[in-house]
Amino acid sequence: MISMVVLLGVLVLSLLAAVTFGSVEIPIGDVYRLLLQKLYHLIFLHDGAWGDGSLFRTVWYIRLPRLILAIAIGMGLAVCGVVMQAIVKNPLADPYVLGISSGASLGATLAILLGVGAVFGQNFVGVMAFLGAFLVSLAVVGLANIGGRANSVKLLLAGTALSSVCSAFSSFVVYFAHDREGMQTVTYWMMGALGGATWELDGVVLLVVLAGTIFFMTQYRTLNLMLLGDEAAVTLGTDLHRWRQLYLLVSAAMVGFAVYAAGMIGFVGLVIPHVIRMLYGTNHKRLLPLSALTGSIFLLWADVACRTMIPGQELPIGILTSMIGAPCFIYLMARKRYGFGGGA
Amino acid sequence: MELQVKELLARLGGTDILRGVSMQAGSDEFIGIIGPNGSGKSTLLKCIYRVLQPTGGAVYLDGKSLTDYSFRESARRIAVLAQHNYYNFDFSVQEVVLMGRSPHKKPLEGDNAQDLQIVRESLELVGMSAFRERSFSTLSGGEQQRVILARALAQQTPCLVLDEPTNHMDIQYQLQLMDIVKGLKRTVISAVHDLNLAAMYCTRIYVMKAGKVVASGTPEAVLTPTLIREVYEVEAEVFRDRNGLLRILYYPSERGKDSCEEVGNSDLPAGQ
Repeated sequence: MISMVVLLGVLVLSLLAAVTFGSVEIPIGDVYRLLLQKLYHLIFLHDGAWGDGSLFRTVWYIRLPRLILAIAIGMGLAVCGVVMQAIVKNPLADPYVLGISSGASLGATLAILLGVGAVFGQNFVGVMAFLGAFLVSLAVVGLANIGGRANSVKLLLAGTALSSVCSAFSSFVVYFAHDREGMQTVTYWMMGALGGATWELDGVVLLVVLAGTIFFMTQYRTLNLMLLGDEAAVTLGTDLHRWRQLYLLVSAAMVGFAVYAAGMIGFVGLVIPHVIRMLYGTNHKRLLPLSALTGSIFLLWADVACRTMIPGQELPIGILTSMIGAPCFIYLMARKRYGFGGGA
Repeated sequence: MELQVKELLARLGGTDILRGVSMQAGSDEFIGIIGPNGSGKSTLLKCIYRVLQPTGGAVYLDGKSLTDYSFRESARRIAVLAQHNYYNFDFSVQEVVLMGRSPHKKPLEGDNAQDLQIVRESLELVGMSAFRERSFSTLSGGEQQRVILARALAQQTPCLVLDEPTNHMDIQYQLQLMDIVKGLKRTVISAVHDLNLAAMYCTRIYVMKAGKVVASGTPEAVLTPTLIREVYEVEAEVFRDRNGLLRILYYPSERGKDSCEEVGNSDLPAGQ
């Protein structure tokens, strides 16, 4: 409980600190003055239209939406990581494990190289990625249920199989498209970026992520039982079969929206749950909210680092999270003989 | 609490594992199920605790078919201590035992003081109170088994199903676990590997061979050298020790006779 309050405080302070960083030099005092003025107008004068000047626009329309998006996506990925690890009963799972990532990239590849889905408007690449992710998740559930009820292992196998199919088709499209520029766009898209953030986008993603996170927080008992396996869960009064599929679809929606908004951002969903599990144990009652907050804080600062590390240039955030995440993961494994909790 | 199994059939991977098994267990009975490996003991128990769906026949709980109970309802009536309890994730002992309360919980209900009290008492009963904060995965096999027993106790069910609960346990803990279970005053149905344990603790025994019940009754009535030879294909001597407890000794079948004579010459109490 205390940890949760502390992390929430850290998140708010991080947001306030992070908003002062950026490629455009704006004095810290000015940033807060602009924000306070805007909030004052929003709350007391009901005058959302206030605000002018390039400094204000930078803070209110570029920096803040981007940071809010980082918070939402960090939270979503960390929560889905926790849930996926429970669904497949394997601590090495991440939000993208059950075919979601390759489904998303197939969707994006089709959109970028062949213009499929252009009817969806400006962000049709994101929409196609979302559709790809979601449809593949549905297919994974369907495939895993053929010839008997799905269990963790069958889900994992179905996910792996469909991932291969999707990557094969992506490569096929890339190879025959003969579109150097398009290929570059695909590659760039796969690295993840928060640059597309707007308040409208934030609203949608934040809503989906918060709703999903709150839903999963109410499900901690079933998530705990998932780790004990189907048999033990039945003797404790819960048939996991339906829950597993429901959770998978809710996560697919959450990850799908994250992919839609920012492409693929790796390692957050794998490393954050592990760090929290090491520090606070496996009980999902604590694991879920703590992972959600830590994921948010992590991605918020990762975004700051991306924007400021190389002057005048922005690093794709997916590269950074993998560069930080992978060594962290290795360090954690080596240091504590952390046998993923048990079996060590 | 009345449990009835009627003409149960189970087919796994094309093989008939259970071929018409019937049995019953009344209140406060300690039912032992014995039989060689592969005779269908575990399969029978799995049908009773609903992990396996029988292909024929049915299990009745207080006169109502088990399939008419929701999983939550049946988990409030039958608790299970299964053979394998290995988890790849780290829970504390207390968290594991607290999961025993889940069938009593409504979807959004939290754990209250009463649940924690029940968990404390259950751990007390199995002698694991000192391990409350320990990580489950760091315990020895026998300790883990006692924690899982505590979890089953926390379910507060009138019936307890045990599947060879004392496997891999030291003798001291085998006896301790059986003593705890015996002292519960609940209906117990247990697969037992060790015939001496079965003789000591069970009120009634069902003997299984090749998917069928071949004998049933009190330990005295069932555990005879003839039956043991028939079912396990070993020679055995059954006698009462100086405390009046039923004891069974085994001999390899081809050397059965000689060995028996040797024993006869020693000053062990003679068989009846």
